[in-house]
Amino acid sequence: MSERPVFAELPRRRRTLWGDAWRRLIASPTARLGMAIVVTFVLGTVLAHFLWPYDPKTDLDYSLKLKPPTLRPTPDVPSIHPFGTDKLGRDVFRRVVHGGWNSLRVGVISVGISLIVGGLLGLLAGFYESVPLTAGERMGLMAGIGLALGSVPAWIAAQPVQAVLFAALGALSASVAVSWPNGRRWRILPLAGLLIGAVPSFFVSPYVALVNGLLGLTIGGILVFPLGGPLFSNIVMRVMDIILAFPSILLAIAIVAFLGPGLDRAMIAIGFVGIPTYARLMRATVLSLVQRDYVLAAQAVGSGHTRILFRHILPNTLSPIIVQSTLGLGSAIIWAGALGFLGLGAIPPEPEWGAMLGDSYRFLTSGAWWAVTFPGIAIMLSVLGFNLLGDGLRDALDPRLTR
Amino acid sequence: MRYLIRRLLSLIPTLLGVTIIVFLLLRLIPGDPAVAMLGEHASQENVQRIREQLGLTRPLFLDREALKQGDFKGFLDSQYLRFLGRLVRGDLGASIHRRIPIAQELAQRFPATVELALAAMAVAVAVGIPIGIISAARRNTWIDSVSMVGALVGVSMPIFWLGLMEIMLFAVILNWFPIGGRLDHAIEVRRITGLLLIDSLVTGHWAAFWDAVKHLAMPVLALATIPLAIIARMTRASMLEVLQEDYIRTARAKGLHQRLVLFRHALKNALLPVVTIIGLQTGNLLAGAILTETIFAWPGIGKWVYDAIVGRDYPVVQGGTLLIALVFVLVNLLVDLSYAALDPRIRYE
Repeated sequence: MSERPVFAELPRRRRTLWGDAWRRLIASPTARLGMAIVVTFVLGTVLAHFLWPYDPKTDLDYSLKLKPPTLRPTPDVPSIHPFGTDKLGRDVFRRVVHGGWNSLRVGVISVGISLIVGGLLGLLAGFYESVPLTAGERMGLMAGIGLALGSVPAWIAAQPVQAVLFAALGALSASVAVSWPNGRRWRILPLAGLLIGAVPSFFVSPYVALVNGLLGLTIGGILVFPLGGPLFSNIVMRVMDIILAFPSILLAIAIVAFLGPGLDRAMIAIGFVGIPTYARLMRATVLSLVQRDYVLAAQAVGSGHTRILFRHILPNTLSPIIVQSTLGLGSAIIWAGALGFLGLGAIPPEPEWGAMLGDSYRFLTSGAWWAVTFPGIAIMLSVLGFNLLGDGLRDALDPRLTR
Repeated sequence: MRYLIRRLLSLIPTLLGVTIIVFLLLRLIPGDPAVAMLGEHASQENVQRIREQLGLTRPLFLDREALKQGDFKGFLDSQYLRFLGRLVRGDLGASIHRRIPIAQELAQRFPATVELALAAMAVAVAVGIPIGIISAARRNTWIDSVSMVGALVGVSMPIFWLGLMEIMLFAVILNWFPIGGRLDHAIEVRRITGLLLIDSLVTGHWAAFWDAVKHLAMPVLALATIPLAIIARMTRASMLEVLQEDYIRTARAKGLHQRLVLFRHALKNALLPVVTIIGLQTGNLLAGAILTETIFAWPGIGKWVYDAIVGRDYPVVQGGTLLIALVFVLVNLLVDLSYAALDPRIRYE
C-alpha cells in the first residue's frame, strides 16, 4: 500500500492555448460534423487524385449518354454508375470525385493569395498606423513616395533618372533636412523639386520642362511634410476600399471574363478579390494588439520592428486568420463553382463541379436530374463542412464569445 | 452635416478608382482587344472600327509624344480621359455586336434587375429577422438549433444550383411556375416605373400582376436564400448581445411583458448591425443576379452581361460591371448615413 496521496497519481494535464482550443473544438457536435465532412472531402479527393487515375479526354461513351444512376449492371447499361452518366456518357460519380481536386486546389491557392498579400498589407498598415517610424524606415517610406510620385514626370520625359532623383529628394527630406526649420524646408524642397523636374526635361522639349517643372514643384511641396505610418496605412486601406466598392463575385467574374477562362485565372481572380477582407481583418487585429503590455515591453527593451512584428504580433493574429481562412475556403469553392457554371472556370473536359452543372443543366427539362443534382450536392456539402468547421473554430479559439 | 460632406468627399477617390479598374479590365485581355472581340477572321476595317470606338489608337493615360510638340490638348487626349469624359456625359459606348448604345440598354434592363433584387431582399428581411428574433428569444431550444442549422445550410448554398433544383421541382415535376422569363408573351403592361409588380398594380391589371408574381417566385427564392440566412444569423447574434444589457434586465425586473421587452427595448438596438448587413448584401444580390438571371432567363442586366461574356462583347461587360459597382457604392453610402441617423450615439467627427 502506497502512502502517497491520491491526486499525485493523476497525470497532470498540461494546458496549452492550442490544446484548450482543440478540446473546445471537438466538444462541439457541429464542429465535429464539419471536421468529418472536411476530412472526408480532402482525403477523398487527394486519394482519388493520386490513386485512381482519370483521363477526362478519353472518358467518353456515347452509347451510355444520360443514363440514370444504376447500382448493378443491367443488359442496357453493363457498367455501374452510382450517380448516372452525363451528356457524353461519362460517369458522374467519377467526375464528382475528381472535380473535388480542382475545387480544393482553387480554394487553397486563392485563399493563399488573399491571405499572404492581404495579411501582409494589413499587418504593416496596422502596425505603422500606431507605432512611430524609426529614422531608417521614414527614409525608406519617403524615398518610396518620392519614387512613386516621381515616376509620373519620369515617364512623361522618358527619363528614369528623374524618378531616382525624386526618391533621393524624399530621402533627403526625411534625413538631413529633418532638423531644418519649417521656413527653410518650404523654401528648399519645392525648389529642388522644380529643378529636378524641369532641368533634365529641358533636353527633351521646353513644353515637357514646363509640365514637369510644375509636377516637380508639387512633389517637392508634398515631400515637405514629414509623411509617416498613418499615411501608408491610409493609402493601403483606400486602395482596399476601391476593390471593396465592387461586389466581390462580380469583380471576380469580370476579371476572368477579360482574362479568358481557365482554372488558374479563376484562382487569381478569386484570390485578388479576397485581399481586402484579410487586409482589414489583419489591420483591425494588429491595432488591438499593438497597445498590449507585451508589445510595449518588447519595444521598451529595444527589439527591432521586424522582430516585434513577426515574433510578438503575428503569432497572436493567428486565431482570427485561421477562422477567416476556413470560412474563406468555403466561399472560394462556391465562387469557383459559379465561375465554372458561367463557363469561366475549368476548361471543358476537365472535371469541375460548377462546370459540370453548366454542362448538364440544359438536360434538366428532359428529366436528367442526376447530372445536375450530385455535383451541386458536392459543392454544398463541402462548403457546409468548411462553414461548420469555421464557426466551430471561432467559438473554440475565442472563448469570450461563447457564454 | 460635416460628416455628410466628408463622406461625400471620400466618394471621389473611390469612384475614380472604380473607373480606373473598370477601364483597365480591357487591358487584361491577352493580345489585341479588337481582334479578341471580333475573332481571328475579322475584316481589317471592322477591327479598325472597334479600335477607333474604344480609342485603342490613343495612349493609355497621357500622350507624351504630343507634349513634346507642345500640343497640350493632345497630351490629355488619352484612352482613360476619353473614357472618363464619356462617362460623365452618361455615354458607355456601343455594344460591339449589336451596335446599340450600352447606357440605353442598361437603363432599359435595370428595372428588371432592381425588381428581382428588391423582391429578394424584401423576402430575406421579412423572413430572416423574425427567425433571428425567435432563435434568440428561444435560445438553445430545438427551434433555435433547427433555424441556425438551416441558416448555415443557406449560407453554404450555391445559388445557381439551388435555382436549377427549383426549376426541376417546381417547373418540371410540379409544373407550378413558368421555367423562365419575366412575363408571359401574351400579356402587356404599360411601362411606368419598369417594375412589373408596381406597374400592373397601378394600372389595375390583375392578370399581369399574378403572372409577374409567378415568374418572380423561383428566382426570388433562389436569390433570397443567402441574405436570408445571413440576416437571420446576424439578427440572432445581435439580439443575444443586446439581451445581456443592463437595461433589458431592468425592463424585465419592472415586470414588463417578454414581448414588449423583445420588440420595444431589444430589437431597436439589435437592428443596427443588421442594417449594415442588408446594405452589403444588396450589392451581392445585384452581382448574384448574373447567375440567377442566367438560369431563369430574366431579362435584366445580369443576363445581358452573361450573354456579353459569352459573345466577348467587352464594352457591355465593362458597362454592366460599372453600373453595378456604382449602385453598390451608393447603397453603402445610404447605409452609412442611415446608420448615423438611426443611432444617436454615433457622431462621426
